[in-house]
Amino acid sequence: MADAIQSRFWVGRLIFVLVMLALVFALLLPLNTQPRGWAAPDLLLCVTLAWVTRRPEFVPMLLVAAVFLATDLLFHRPPGLWTALVLILTQMLRARATGLRNVPFWLEWATVAMGIVAVTLANRMVLAAVMTPQAPLGLTLSQMLTTILCYPVVVVVAYALFGLSRPALGEVDARGRRL
Amino acid sequence: MASDRTNGDDYFAPIRRLLVGLLVLAMFGLFLLWRIDSPRVERFRAAVIDQVVPSFDWAMAPVTGLVNMLADFQSYQRIHEQNRDLRRELQQMRAWREAALQLEQENAKLLDLNNVRLDPNLTYITGVVMADSGSPFRQSVLLNVGARDGIIDGWPTMDGIGLVGRISGVGQNTSRVILLTDTSSRIPVMIQPSGQKAILAGDNTVYPPIDFLDNADVVRPGDRVVSSGDGGLFPGDLLIGQVVLGTDGRLRVRLSADYERLEFLRVLRAPQVEVITDPGTLIVPTGPALSLLPPAPDATAVEATDG
Repeated sequence: MADAIQSRFWVGRLIFVLVMLALVFALLLPLNTQPRGWAAPDLLLCVTLAWVTRRPEFVPMLLVAAVFLATDLLFHRPPGLWTALVLILTQMLRARATGLRNVPFWLEWATVAMGIVAVTLANRMVLAAVMTPQAPLGLTLSQMLTTILCYPVVVVVAYALFGLSRPALGEVDARGRRL
Repeated sequence: MASDRTNGDDYFAPIRRLLVGLLVLAMFGLFLLWRIDSPRVERFRAAVIDQVVPSFDWAMAPVTGLVNMLADFQSYQRIHEQNRDLRRELQQMRAWREAALQLEQENAKLLDLNNVRLDPNLTYITGVVMADSGSPFRQSVLLNVGARDGIIDGWPTMDGIGLVGRISGVGQNTSRVILLTDTSSRIPVMIQPSGQKAILAGDNTVYPPIDFLDNADVVRPGDRVVSSGDGGLFPGDLLIGQVVLGTDGRLRVRLSADYERLEFLRVLRAPQVEVITDPGTLIVPTGPALSLLPPAPDATAVEATDG
């Protein structure tokens, strides 16, 4: 029994890591080198937030930090800033995860959306404060919007493919504590 | 019942909170370090990319090829139409080719007569595009040639026809090319028949705008834009594109390089690369001091109108 729970716990983490790797891989493919007027959703952020609100135990803090620091370096973002903001956001959602389990979906969506807006604006404000050249505002806003709109899709796909759902009543975690 | 869980966590909660705090602080610290000492952190970034991306390459190349093949497959549906267009284009090209051959011969003869020696330093290294920037905010690609192949920061990069960008960030086996469309790209250019000099400033659109143009009246859409070689940044006379009039009324450049499919890029061995040795100082005229004040009567006139 304990073994089964333990292995499910590690499989959950492994699935998260693999999803992240696949997304980074897809983003790095040199398919479209032309600039576009709108920005595709930030799927890395979207997936992380979906996982952290639904199954925080599969997404340890150090893993989030490692993944986002690596993408900061790979995608030529200012290193560290986006990682720090995402860390703060995931910790806040993690603290609310128990409460978010019982609310209707639209409320969960709204909470996550507010989080996305907050980190996007904070990112821009910090970059402006230290006078770093920034991407056009329209592009950032379009990415923020598409990321928010993408959240339900990510949740549905994650449920269909990996069975990512809110913990049911009476489930226990790896150390046998009630979730 | 929910309190059961928090009770169990009590031992770990403060430590975890401390760890989160430290981690966030470390990240902000890294960001500040990057802001203060960018070259060092960027070198670290180049080294990381150099390690990570080539290990993806075995999978990246086939997947990219497959997706491109699928994209091509769609265009096969219009193959008949395309064929006709190509034939017509080929006809025109034959005429141009004839003209070009004649001009080439004439040019060679003239060069010979004048005993001109062409610069042998403009040789090139060809690299394959491995990856793009991965983010919609940065326009750059990663090449599979690096310091090992003698690539140096700042060298210009072309596809077969036109300028694509410049090298910025060299790892051992990889190097990054900042494309002309990136928001941080600034290239000194010359607009051909009129000889006007300007700066081509990327702004994350397909047609980058022309900045700091002295006299916009003598520039017309359709004029050729080439690199000017000002500031020792690039060799001169590399083709960049044609002037077009943007929908917003600004003069922009339609780039000659095919940004749709960047696959093989040439890195030109530019002989002179600007090396920045001293920190920024104020540039002041070295000759006799110039009077910045206007002549006295004007000054009084200004004061009078102000009062």
